[in-house]
Amino acid sequence: MVYEALDFYDVDSLLTEEERMVRDMVRDWVDEEVIPNIEIACRDGVFPDEWRVALGEMGVLGAPLKGYDCPGLSYTAYGVICRELERGDSGLRSFASVQGSLAMYPIWDFGSEEQKNYYLPKMASGEWIGCFGLTEPDYGSNPGDMITKAEDMGDHYLLNGAKMWITNGSIAELAVVWAKLDGVIRGFIVEKNDPGFSAPEMKGKHSLKASVTSELVFQDCKIPKDRMLPGVKGLRGPFSCLNNARFGISWGALGSAQACFDSAKDYAMSRIQFNHPIASYQLVQNKLSWMLREITKGQLLAYHLGQKKDAGTWIPEHISLAKMNNVDIALEIARVARDIHGANGILDEYPIMRHMANLESVKTYEGTHDIHNLIIGRHITGIQAFTREA
Amino acid sequence: MNIAVLLKQVPDTTAKITISDEKVDESSVSKWSMSPYDEYALESGLKLKETSGGNLIAITCGPERTKKMLTDAAAVGADTLVHIPNDGVTDSTHVQKLLAAAVKRFDSHVVLCGKQAADTNGGSTGPGVAELINAACVTLVSEVNFSEGKFTTIRPSNSGIEKVVVDGLSVFAFDKGSTELRRPNVRGIMMAKKKPIESIISSDLGVNLEASNVKMNSQNPPPEKPAGQKFEGAEYVNEVVSKLRNEANVI
Ligand SMILES: Cc1cc2nc3c(=O)[nH]c(=O)nc-3n(C[C@H](O)[C@H](O)[C@H](O)COP(=O)(O)OP(=O)(O)OC[C@H]3O[C@@H](n4cnc5c(N)ncnc54)[C@H](O)[C@@H]3O)c2cc1C
Repeated sequence: MVYEALDFYDVDSLLTEEERMVRDMVRDWVDEEVIPNIEIACRDGVFPDEWRVALGEMGVLGAPLKGYDCPGLSYTAYGVICRELERGDSGLRSFASVQGSLAMYPIWDFGSEEQKNYYLPKMASGEWIGCFGLTEPDYGSNPGDMITKAEDMGDHYLLNGAKMWITNGSIAELAVVWAKLDGVIRGFIVEKNDPGFSAPEMKGKHSLKASVTSELVFQDCKIPKDRMLPGVKGLRGPFSCLNNARFGISWGALGSAQACFDSAKDYAMSRIQFNHPIASYQLVQNKLSWMLREITKGQLLAYHLGQKKDAGTWIPEHISLAKMNNVDIALEIARVARDIHGANGILDEYPIMRHMANLESVKTYEGTHDIHNLIIGRHITGIQAFTREA
Repeated sequence: MNIAVLLKQVPDTTAKITISDEKVDESSVSKWSMSPYDEYALESGLKLKETSGGNLIAITCGPERTKKMLTDAAAVGADTLVHIPNDGVTDSTHVQKLLAAAVKRFDSHVVLCGKQAADTNGGSTGPGVAELINAACVTLVSEVNFSEGKFTTIRPSNSGIEKVVVDGLSVFAFDKGSTELRRPNVRGIMMAKKKPIESIISSDLGVNLEASNVKMNSQNPPPEKPAGQKFEGAEYVNEVVSKLRNEANVI
């Protein structure tokens, strides 16, 4: 079946020609290389290395970053890329989000000139994969209390601690790790072969199966002095990265939603029960019409946020709203699509169950749904509700 | 070497075609793409350029929307983009005249095109242009190489494949080959966006589009396929074999 992207309000006509060309390039690649292979990748629990190569060749990694051989596209284009990738699979989009927004971006914004020149070109080309270590076993939603620490040993830093749930961890050449130096959060670049560093893969995921998730373990891990990111201190560092990744997710989730809608519509048109296509029954039409309604609203949200991001008139709360809303509706659309597919909905012949399971992770990472509620709640009331302590 | 590649934009092979008033309704086509055979011509043109050096001139004749396809060609490496508006064009001989004039105007040494367009499937453009510019023409080409002033092409023959060697001005009409088509990348797309498209109208090409003696009467969708038939059980073997032999003509 041919994929016809739902775009009820013709929102894509607002994109620039360049953005549309990038969209078509990624969409064609996803159709030809990702969709035919995604189920096998999930079954094997691997991120196919060809996809790393192809993303590098297309030149979409670190999309909105300028200079240092980075693409230099708009944030809106970055959003479109995320959407097209996630139409294939959220694991694929996760790879690109982590590489671009969580690993390249902090080096690009907070790194030294030497660090930028050394790492960014190889990361933009896909040669080197990066990962982002913030979450710890005991500190998820409140990373500020992290335990991982760095000590200044005069001619080097010593890292101790552990990170968990780290996308791309075991396949990464380098990790951007957030750790406390004298009680202040700082960013460090840890390379794969640094002594005292290991990245064992976490197994047994029912979600994002085509994405690698790992622990990062630092046991007296020794890194040279020039690996600290000089440009940022405190939670602002990791949170700036998260803002960009969350922005991409707010677009990406729509890709999953559109894939589920597309499949549900086709299925409803062709599935005959009680002598008629199920699409001819009002209850099913209500479901499809609700999906279209939510996707269309989500598209307008994402597009407008893209414009604000490009114009520099955004605040983090804008991103929270879009991430929270678009992942939420995508997950619900996946569930309703599963219902429309009946028993077939649970098979890997259809993309539904995979998207649904993936979106459960997407709902949790990059700030859980409720953490974004709290961010918006604080914006409305001026009262923080994350913790009882002041 | 100046390598001219003739490109046509057609409804995407996956797009639904609707007919209204006995004509294909172009406004209802959801996606326009480069005709698939032309993609192979373009790919071969890019390879020729890489191995022998030169300038790749992408030429199309069509309405305004076809400019997008030229930009797509630039994204993968076309150097010069030429758009000939199709005002007053009513049949394929007009198109051939315009394309031939553009090929000459850009001093082309070789012309590559698809063996036929995926919409009309006429197949007359390559040979027609060759005739007008007095060039050799090889059709159904899957590969072309250039060395020592000669082009060596691969095409199918009755008994396998044949190698045809030509020199001088030539037109090669491409079939789908086993060549992998290149994808655009962001860098190419950003450069393509800046590339100007030269629009040249028929009078500037010195072509006089005289009234055509070809008239399109009507277009119709292909007849609907009859519903499939289903046979279960050994007792149907003879009937199925006879149907396969006499109705489906497959055995
Ligand atoms: C597949 C996958 C990939 C990931 N990749 C990365 C990565 O690359 N790098 C990285 O650093 N991290 C990564 N993460 C981790 C992710 O960011 C965390 O899982 C997330 O921040 C939530 O933390 P947690 O799982 O510890 O949940 P918790 O923080 O324990 O939350 C559990 C529940 O409690 C709720 N909750 C927590 N605090 C409050 C509160 N104050 N008020 C109300 N409710 C609250 C949450 O909303 C949630 O429902 C990944 C996670 C997954 C699943």
